[in-house]
Amino acid sequence: MSIERTTATLPPAISVAGLRRVYDVKPEPVTALGGVDLEVAPGEFFGLLGPNGAGKTTLIKILTTLLLPTAGEARIFGFDVATDSRRIRRIMNMVAGGEQSGYGILTVREQLWMFSQFYGLGTREGWRRVDELIEAVGLAEQRVQRVSTLATGQRQKMNMARGLLNDPWILFLDEPTLGLDVAAARGIRELILDWKAAVPGRTVLLTTHYMAEADELCERIAIVDRGRILAIGSPEELKRRIQRESIFRLELDHLDGGAARLARLPGVVSAALAADSDAEAQRVVVNLVLVEDAALGAVVTALGGLGSQILALRKSEPTLEDVFIELVGRGFADGADDTDGAGGHAGEDRGSGGGMPATAEVVVAEVEAERVEAGR
Amino acid sequence: MSASERARGDPGATPFVPSIVAEAGAGDTLRAFRTAALLGWRVESNWTDPALFFIYTVARPIASLLLFVVMIQIVGGGANDEIRAFVILGSSLWATLVAGIAGPAWSVLEDRERYRMLKYLYLSPASFLVLLVGRGVARLAAGAIGTAIALVFAVLVLGLRVDVARVDWPLLLTTLLLGIPPIVAIGVLLGAVCLQTRQESWSYPDAFAGSMFLVTGVVFPLAVLPDPVEVVGLLNPITWWIAGVRQAVLPGGPTSVGGEGSLWTVVTGSASPDAATVVFALFATGALITLAATAIFRLSERRARDQGLLDRTTGS
Repeated sequence: MSIERTTATLPPAISVAGLRRVYDVKPEPVTALGGVDLEVAPGEFFGLLGPNGAGKTTLIKILTTLLLPTAGEARIFGFDVATDSRRIRRIMNMVAGGEQSGYGILTVREQLWMFSQFYGLGTREGWRRVDELIEAVGLAEQRVQRVSTLATGQRQKMNMARGLLNDPWILFLDEPTLGLDVAAARGIRELILDWKAAVPGRTVLLTTHYMAEADELCERIAIVDRGRILAIGSPEELKRRIQRESIFRLELDHLDGGAARLARLPGVVSAALAADSDAEAQRVVVNLVLVEDAALGAVVTALGGLGSQILALRKSEPTLEDVFIELVGRGFADGADDTDGAGGHAGEDRGSGGGMPATAEVVVAEVEAERVEAGR
Repeated sequence: MSASERARGDPGATPFVPSIVAEAGAGDTLRAFRTAALLGWRVESNWTDPALFFIYTVARPIASLLLFVVMIQIVGGGANDEIRAFVILGSSLWATLVAGIAGPAWSVLEDRERYRMLKYLYLSPASFLVLLVGRGVARLAAGAIGTAIALVFAVLVLGLRVDVARVDWPLLLTTLLLGIPPIVAIGVLLGAVCLQTRQESWSYPDAFAGSMFLVTGVVFPLAVLPDPVEVVGLLNPITWWIAGVRQAVLPGGPTSVGGEGSLWTVVTGSASPDAATVVFALFATGALITLAATAIFRLSERRARDQGLLDRTTGS
């Protein structure tokens, strides 16, 4: 039976309607999810993006059957999270980042094998799958090492291996790269992409507050804040929502009459010399804002008339952070509260600490650095 | 095959049809139980640390045994052999009981607070109750080793006399086996409580086990207790388990259930229950507590899921 043909008739991988979760804590109840509606198709790589306390982890806990909703309905491949949890657990798995979990006295291989048995694999099949995954996640040298002696990145790789033991139809990843260095985070991302790409229909739901990570991995993203979904779409769609004008960065050998000459052209909103222009080195950089992309033709024609040679032309796009700021009115680092955890719930206190970059900008820079390195 | 290819799994092996997804079958349950017991054995038996192994499995039961033997020597002014045997056997069995009662509760607390694996165990398709029972049985086994060591010590050093030819083996085996489910069930009951509680519950298992020590005739007969407390003891399967083992190993010796002034004797008119009565009482009270523990655990599990307690850590 072809997977592609079958997925067309499958119910949604995730179907959420009117989902609410209120933590009954003192001095007053905290609403972690305030009526969420969401649908994720089989085979999608879907991201939940939001600051700490946005409600991402609460949603993932409900979807993985770890927590009951206060109201509303959530289904995984048609199975109700409240009543069909045993079936859901056979077809899903979950990996959370930023935690030091594991039976320290066991070796990596032993711990994974035990979980393979809890997932119903036979003894031999379990060992085979464990050995395959240990090699796949790059823990071959640590296979008989005790879990207590593993470094943070190695422990997270082991957790990833555990998450893939049952070859789930849907994999929930809750901040899987939290606390990892650049190389380890990249390794985890590559592993996830490889695993997902191998079989059409495999679904991933990722929560992260690293915008670059969501941008890199996800086909669709829901931006979440204070227990509500503010927008859903592909990263490109979300960025287009706030990009009302076309912004270009133009590098020229010279520009007679300065940027003001370009600003007078039809379709040009503004034109300004960039700070890194260097006329002596015959490099003039102009930041150009156009009404629409089509206006660029008039600019190029005009530049030809002025005898300027175009050295480089790059279109600037907004980032997901720009989208978030536009939607919420503040950045990720500002005013993140802890509505998820109601102050004391585990898994919710995994903020941007633990040696991780405190701001999204730093993460963007890290991912950029990875891309540069990868392209080298 | 490359490393990443290995991670991908076998596409052909995954029929992508939700309607065929079944809950865990009997084979899966058995496998999960066996693995949980193995996990408990590895994690909790401290085999890899000789000092801890010695303290928990050898030194503690023997120290506890010596404490009571010395106490009855001093208080009782040199008690007779039957009383000494009564105390030695009860005290030795206590190592098994306390491990069985506290085991599942300790598993809940350790897995949630220390290893932080409770949520991953819970999210596996294996029954959480089965996993907990498996862990409890592993603890029980470790406790049984302590009991065996204490008894060997009592025979070799304290002069405990056990006439092997007079031991009622069928009664002993029946009692030992019938006792396992209710002992673990009480542990599960305590585990259900610890699932709801916070960090301070580290002391609950030992405290609860201590209270059981008083009401189940471990080192003194129930007859010395006030009537209402004696009723609690008679309804407790542990009481009948200890009484059964005593009756099998030390036939004709003092009983913890009956005797002069005991509620048992007042109500039934007999000095002590016979073997069949002990087995029946153990079975009946055991079945009752096992059913109650299962129901209460299910309620506790549901509440923990409702309140978000399954991955709550309070120790950090």
